[in-house]
Amino acid sequence: MFRVACSRVSRAGLPQQSRPSRLWASTIAHENAGVWDVSPVVQVVRRKMERRAELQSQISDTISPAQHKQIMKQLTQTDRLSTAWEDWLKTRECLRETETLLEDTDPTMRSLAEEERERLSTVLDGYLDKTFPPLLVPPSTTSHLSAMMELKAGVGGSESALFLAEIMRMYTRLANSMRWKASIIASNETDNGGIKDAILEIQGEKAYDMLRWESGVHRVQRVPATEANGRVHTSTVAVVVLPLVEERGSSGSDEDLFSMDDIRIEVMRSRGAGGQHVNKTESAVRLTHVPTGITVSMQDERSQHQNKRRAFQVLTARLLDRKLSQEVVQRRDARRNLVASADRSEKIRTYNYAQDRVTDHRVGFSLKNLDAVLEGDALQEIIDVLSRKHQEDLLAEAMES
Amino acid sequence: MKEAISQNPKCNVNAELSSMVARRAQGEPLQYILGTQPFGPLSLLTRQPVLIPRPETEDWAIRLSQLIRPTPNRPLSLLDLCTGSGCIPLLLCHLWPQGSTRAVGVDISQDAINLARDNASRCHIQLASPPSDSTTPSDSVAFPRKNTFLPLLANIRDPSFVLTAGLRPPFDIITSNPPYIPYSEYQNLPVSVKEYEDPRALLGDPPDNSISDHPSDDARHGLSFYHCIAALVSKHNLLAQGGVVVVEVGAGQSNDVQQIFHQEAGLKYTEVWKDPWEKDRVVFARRY
Repeated sequence: MFRVACSRVSRAGLPQQSRPSRLWASTIAHENAGVWDVSPVVQVVRRKMERRAELQSQISDTISPAQHKQIMKQLTQTDRLSTAWEDWLKTRECLRETETLLEDTDPTMRSLAEEERERLSTVLDGYLDKTFPPLLVPPSTTSHLSAMMELKAGVGGSESALFLAEIMRMYTRLANSMRWKASIIASNETDNGGIKDAILEIQGEKAYDMLRWESGVHRVQRVPATEANGRVHTSTVAVVVLPLVEERGSSGSDEDLFSMDDIRIEVMRSRGAGGQHVNKTESAVRLTHVPTGITVSMQDERSQHQNKRRAFQVLTARLLDRKLSQEVVQRRDARRNLVASADRSEKIRTYNYAQDRVTDHRVGFSLKNLDAVLEGDALQEIIDVLSRKHQEDLLAEAMES
Repeated sequence: MKEAISQNPKCNVNAELSSMVARRAQGEPLQYILGTQPFGPLSLLTRQPVLIPRPETEDWAIRLSQLIRPTPNRPLSLLDLCTGSGCIPLLLCHLWPQGSTRAVGVDISQDAINLARDNASRCHIQLASPPSDSTTPSDSVAFPRKNTFLPLLANIRDPSFVLTAGLRPPFDIITSNPPYIPYSEYQNLPVSVKEYEDPRALLGDPPDNSISDHPSDDARHGLSFYHCIAALVSKHNLLAQGGVVVVEVGAGQSNDVQQIFHQEAGLKYTEVWKDPWEKDRVVFARRY
């Protein structure tokens, strides 16, 4: 009640009560036009709707079927936005009508109108914060992709290998709770139960989209189990998350990534006479993609065929990753994007045992209860924060264009 | 060794583990201890003394599966001689479209035939019923909707083999990984091969060589079975017009085997395929 009265009285343009979205920061309350009409989000949507109307006006009997098809295709892209926009306009109109009743002579009517005004304001806020933003951001082209995570122990020797084993477990747990299928496709174990390097395959819808924020250097600060003097060590594990293309029907999409002529396949060891003479299993395989110099070695599977398949999977993932990051760079020239641009050698997160805290350096987000992160549950929270940040960046990008 | 054990998820019992280690230390092949061997996308059973499928064989069988593509509309018949575990026909039946392939695998060893049959059910390849000599309707070779495999116990070096086995030639594809190790080399094989795998699957010139049509000078070079296959192709009309013969060969045998196919089987066109280790491994021949 107070808010309504206030905003109506202050002609000077008192800032609207704080809104959840940062897009509201510069928004000033207008007496009649209403704050919603000048919101940047609404302006973007209105521009898009004008463009849509323009497209619709081009449809006539004189255009060719091809043109018609193209226009229809463009129109479908804004179908959902258009529906939301119509609902928005209706609600907006309701609000205008309600506002006229605020001056009514009947106090009961005035009070009802104010209640209604409150309600409609909340609905309109919802459009700005929840409904429009995802419709303005182009849909993810990678949401169907599974993920391949390459983990490598960095600074810190055996302590780093121990930590690698722990974060690998963290990702496996996260995968389980997301109902993704996690499988270890390569792992190089050390004597003390650590892992020097490993490749984890996480299959499932949106696995890549969610996990890609995990690329970068993860730092652990703690007293290692092996440290006698109780000193805190800092060790690191490097994580690279690659998009994984399903193999079935791969011939189509793979061809864009590489040509078989560019691949050199080597089997690692000599088998002497080979064939019936030898029944030892020699299954290691190495692939080299000559144009990029990317090499993939695989020896964890029992047969050469399986290792070759795996190696091709990893190579495809690396090449697709290259292609995607190139696309990102091309699309956004000056704009610095949170993660996609992040250098993979950049420290992204610290797991501090003494303080029982996990900090993500990219968003300055800290979480107490380190165990909960390593159990996978709280990791989800961090990933959500990163995803939201990404969505905001995308929205900001969409609004600039 | 450690890797070998960790690869079997089931051996978590310490006693079992140490017994496996002991067996391996004795020289027993890993594949017999674990009981399986991947072959292409298949996981095949391995049982002593049947020959363990080799990666070289896996490689060319996959290559063949990509070179020739039968379809339910253009089905093909396949004869695999010295089939052993059944690895070659089973992989082809698995990789080729259902209803496109009718495969027969022949071996002299009852162990091999049993294993091939078990492998067929493990890989969900339908077993064909044995050929009956009763008079069935004319189109008795009509292809069923699934790929089928028929393991047959027979000695391919017995001249009456084609008749006694009840085969229905001609075949569009004949494959074979026949024994090809010369006796002189057999002596020096690793323990894991010599002491565990069936000599009948390894020795290119079996001791009872009198049956062979070719007691010639190269009877000591491990080539007896290639002579035999050439004879079957030329005398028994085993190979259809336009059909192919694909045989694995031992190191250094590819030229001799091509010669044998040219001269004794009348197969004018042959080529040699290399294995992933750059060794001549396969002679591929086509009948025009």
